[in-house]
Amino acid sequence: MAKSTSQKIKVGIFVVVGTILLIGALYSIGKRQHIFSKTTQVYAVFGNVNGLQIGNNVRYSGINVGTVSKIEMTEVGKITIQMSVEEKTASFIKKDAIASIGSDGLVGSMVVNIIPGKNKQAVRIATGDTIQSYSKIGADDMLSTLNTTNENAALLTSDLLKITNQILEGKGTLGALINDTILAQDIRQIMIELRKTSEGTGLAVSRINRIISKINYDESAAAVILSDTVTANQIRNVFENLEKSSEDINEVTKNLNEYLTEIKSGKGALNYITQDETFVKNVDSTMLQIKEASEKLNQNMEALKHNFFFRGYFRKLERQERRAAKAK
Amino acid sequence: MSRSTSFLDRSKSFFAEIGDMTLFAGRFFRELFSTPFEFKELIRQCYNMGIRSLFLVMVTGFILGLVFTLQSRPTLADLGAEAWMPSMISISIVREIGPVIIALICAGRIGSGIGAELGSMRVTEQIDAMEVSGTNPFKYLVVTRILAVTLMLPLLVIVGDAVALIGSAIIENLKGDVSYTLYFNKIFDALSFSDLLPATVKTVFFGFAIGLVGTYKGYNCAKGTVGVGEASNSAVVYTSMLLFIIDFIAVFVSDIFFEI
Repeated sequence: MAKSTSQKIKVGIFVVVGTILLIGALYSIGKRQHIFSKTTQVYAVFGNVNGLQIGNNVRYSGINVGTVSKIEMTEVGKITIQMSVEEKTASFIKKDAIASIGSDGLVGSMVVNIIPGKNKQAVRIATGDTIQSYSKIGADDMLSTLNTTNENAALLTSDLLKITNQILEGKGTLGALINDTILAQDIRQIMIELRKTSEGTGLAVSRINRIISKINYDESAAAVILSDTVTANQIRNVFENLEKSSEDINEVTKNLNEYLTEIKSGKGALNYITQDETFVKNVDSTMLQIKEASEKLNQNMEALKHNFFFRGYFRKLERQERRAAKAK
Repeated sequence: MSRSTSFLDRSKSFFAEIGDMTLFAGRFFRELFSTPFEFKELIRQCYNMGIRSLFLVMVTGFILGLVFTLQSRPTLADLGAEAWMPSMISISIVREIGPVIIALICAGRIGSGIGAELGSMRVTEQIDAMEVSGTNPFKYLVVTRILAVTLMLPLLVIVGDAVALIGSAIIENLKGDVSYTLYFNKIFDALSFSDLLPATVKTVFFGFAIGLVGTYKGYNCAKGTVGVGEASNSAVVYTSMLLFIIDFIAVFVSDIFFEI
């Protein structure tokens, strides 16, 4: 029954080594939570992770679905985070989901919030996918913006103070408006006048209205022009034709102008006829000569009738005439 | 040369002792499930270890809750987070501080008691006499004691936790004007099953460790009155160390299964 010392040592070493191994195993398991559930590794890239740490929760629509398993700076200003998301819920996360970093309560740790995308047909995420990220404004950025706002507000209030002081002192239009009693009376008077004028205007407008209502609108030329589409087309045609005609007239007058200038410039027969005075005289003398010649020819013809050779012919003609008269 | 030899010897004896204790534990489990069962002795030991330690545990727990609340109050008040007081106190007491402190107290009271008792029985050869008379001393002395501590410690811890929370409530009532009803409502809001279960399971192992080391040291006590003192002393030292190792492992395991 009694064990030897060496056996006891062996058992002791076995127990110590076993315990150390157990602790080591538990440590490595504890480091990677969700070891017993299958996980999907998803990535997101941020410019600023606002103090996010490995092991922080990942939430999808407010439910804890996994943890942050790795945070790594891949480039300057680009931090890639790896998220281990439970297989069960990963099937609901689509590829168009958006990750953002938020804080869990007022003094709580940071969390990664995954918001579902809008595309319902999107494919579910798989291991190695990188989803879109959305960086909320960090507290520092917010404070720096607030700082500028503050400075601006300070400037604005100092300006406002100056303005109000000036107003109180009665400087400027606004000051006068507020402080000057005479101005106030004037303004009151103006208002009274304005009221009277507006009453007069009201009366005038109603009178005009009455006049307008009396006009038989439908049968007036204006109404026809305004309302009748056929007439409008006709009018349009008339205008088009007028336009064409005016173009034609323009062309004609242009031609006439050219023509007249040509005539004036002395080219062609007409110009010769109209412009040359000697020509007219020549024509005149020629006409006189023709007249004289024709008188002489008449004499010659009379002489011919009495001529021996041609007397027979003329007697023959006379006879024929007489016969014709008898026949009648 | 002599130094290395002594180191080798010491590590040899260290491993030998651990191995021996493991074998001792194995024997305990073998004897536990074999007849006859010493019920009467078990009840007597339960009374001895449970009821007699109750007052000590209650006083310690009460002061623990009182002091713990008093010390952590200013820090939380600085943050304006006094409303978190009940949940913080209750979770840290129930999960960790209660079991460990009360187990350490019991290691001091029960572990050393067992070591001294069995050690003196070994020295005065009462154990040998029992063997001769036909009674199984291991069954009668060791099994009943280990089993009694294992059963009693979880109960003691639960009582201790409760008293500590009462102590904490008193301080909060005095300092922060928080009514007891509100304080306990907040405590039970904060506590969940996953807080209580691992802590209670842990105390079972604590009890077993206290009983095992105490009985081992006493049962294997060296001859002479020096041996008795050494047995009772080393029982407490070894138990305390073992408690922290067990606590360490238990926290890891509960972290995995209950996600703290």
